[in-house]
Amino acid sequence: MAQAGKGRLNYRCPSCFMRDLDIDMFYDKEKKEYYCIRCPFTGTEEEVVKLNEMAKFRYKNISDRITDFD
Amino acid sequence: MDKFILNILHRPEMVPEYAQNAAGKGDGGASESGIYKESLDIFKLQQQIAHENGFKTTIQMTYSSLFNDEAVSIAKEHHEKYGDEISLTLLGLPCKEFREKYKTHDFCIWMFSMDDKKAVVDDVFGKFHERFGFYPLSTGSYYMDADLIGYIKRQYPMVKCAVATCWEEGPKAYHTCNNSWYTFLDGGPWNPWIPSKQNTHAPAADENEDSGIVAVPHISRDLLACFDGNGSNFGTHPQNVLRGMIYKDGRFPYLYNLIDQYRSLKKYNRGYAYNMMFVGPGWMNKKGRWEAPYELLVKSYRDCMAYYAGLRDRGELQDMTMSEFADFYRSCHTYKQPECALWKDILYGSQKQLFWYADPYMRTCVDMNQGGAIVDLRPYAAKVRRPVGIGTGNVYDASYPFLIQSMYRAGYFTHYAGKGTIKSCKFTYKGEEADLCLCRTKAGFSEEEGCRILTLDPVEIELSGIKVKIQSVFTFKEGSSEIKITRRVLEMSDPLCEIGFDEYMTACYGTTEYPEDMNGIKLITRGEKTEEMVYAYRDREVCSANGTSAEAVITPVNTKASVLPGTRGCSSYAHEGYAFSPMFTLGLRGTLKNGGEVTSWLRLEKAD
Repeated sequence: MAQAGKGRLNYRCPSCFMRDLDIDMFYDKEKKEYYCIRCPFTGTEEEVVKLNEMAKFRYKNISDRITDFD
Repeated sequence: MDKFILNILHRPEMVPEYAQNAAGKGDGGASESGIYKESLDIFKLQQQIAHENGFKTTIQMTYSSLFNDEAVSIAKEHHEKYGDEISLTLLGLPCKEFREKYKTHDFCIWMFSMDDKKAVVDDVFGKFHERFGFYPLSTGSYYMDADLIGYIKRQYPMVKCAVATCWEEGPKAYHTCNNSWYTFLDGGPWNPWIPSKQNTHAPAADENEDSGIVAVPHISRDLLACFDGNGSNFGTHPQNVLRGMIYKDGRFPYLYNLIDQYRSLKKYNRGYAYNMMFVGPGWMNKKGRWEAPYELLVKSYRDCMAYYAGLRDRGELQDMTMSEFADFYRSCHTYKQPECALWKDILYGSQKQLFWYADPYMRTCVDMNQGGAIVDLRPYAAKVRRPVGIGTGNVYDASYPFLIQSMYRAGYFTHYAGKGTIKSCKFTYKGEEADLCLCRTKAGFSEEEGCRILTLDPVEIELSGIKVKIQSVFTFKEGSSEIKITRRVLEMSDPLCEIGFDEYMTACYGTTEYPEDMNGIKLITRGEKTEEMVYAYRDREVCSANGTSAEAVITPVNTKASVLPGTRGCSSYAHEGYAFSPMFTLGLRGTLKNGGEVTSWLRLEKAD
């Protein structure tokens, strides 16, 4: 198979993101999946998007407008 | 005073670091000429958005842009039309002309050899003068080392302001970037300061130490999220917030919460607060940035600028150019005036609260979630000379050394054995021990007679069947190079009890997670007798009855740290570490009764 390239958007590995690592994923056209060259993660775009949403679990105030800073 | 100042900076980078990298890897990225056009278009769009919102900007010309007639022409036009300041950055060096001349892909000015720093500065400033007919009043990079600033001031004394550090961008940023982004810049102030001649991160204590510029940080960063996370996710840089994935459905209230918390810092700084926005063109390129599409990147920039504009329209914000800000800052700040921030978590829902303090003698952080433990301590009093760049023996590490950094060198919690760096207080009664590190609380701030006072809400500890209510107060006296710490026993369930206290500081030195050579550190206690030992990893302890001090002389960072009691009657001790725990502990031990209190000081001095 030909070498991998980038996908439609430049997705990072969701597994690495959750351990504070920003690593671009590459896209395997034949398997139609993204994969990380550092950790063993592989996933479809749909899975990546879902996991990116999950990674926000720690941001409990992500939708809150805060006005009191005392 | 009641002022919230905003600096907006734009740079026509022409060949942004990221875009160049992508193109170079042959992944279908644009050619260099294509990148030139796109980058200039992004710069024009950023300028347009700022001007549409009625702001003037500081245009930091890059070396590459000085070869581009259109970029020069735009800068001149916007200076005339909008009052933008035409400035000069030492970022954005990469371009064909630079590579041909300097035969290198290096692009971070602080990492060049001193000879090359001088050559580049003269080249860039000379080219700027050739294009504009004057020298700039402001400059900057991700970091500006003291020797670099010194050279610029000697050759171009009109320069009065510089972007001089990225707050807490160090090993954490390196790791986040797959160990490939070499900005080791931890340990500086988070808000503008006057750098000393000896070390950029350490503010000047007087005119003699004054480097001659006012430094501003590269963007305004979240003082809690960046302390334990990637600094490039949590700042007044809309695309950084997207990088951190801190948005839902195209909305990012966190960015406004961050701006508003910075505004709220007026309460701790005599009515003054500051924000800085500086987005490189690479963050708004048409291909998108990581998962964020171009449209969202641009929307975030527009929304952020509109938010700032709304604040200005309500009289709650004033925009300035960099040189205007430098004049303003010097007009309302004394050398010894500290910068304070009682900062709360606005992202994780934890209710955590940190107090940051910086002056010419120290930068420190008190963590209320750990009962007021000191979790970061940088001895600015030592003004540690650390030349950086090729040929100095220290190519990369521009961080200011710490004595305490509880994230890098453990804090209260260690795995099974050893100690971590932290300053706290332990209490004992009938063989049981409790550390204030495990008492979560909150604090209030006040200023009285030259002192900034952090008063913590009382906490309760339980020891061998008794309950004790304790309050901690931290007093930072301006210009003293000391922190006064008071522990008060407000109540005891059995008023006749006497409890033991151990006011301790476990420390080391370093700039990263990894231990340094502790050999040679001198540990001294004074009191009825003076005891002394030289660190040799042998787990020993020295102690003086009726102690007057416990001291450590840490020669590699030219620092003497002392713990001093307010009254006689306690013992001072110093404990050496061992190979699996390469730390030292300085402390005071004594007893306290109901209604009693113990006061101690932590003092930092230059060792030589």
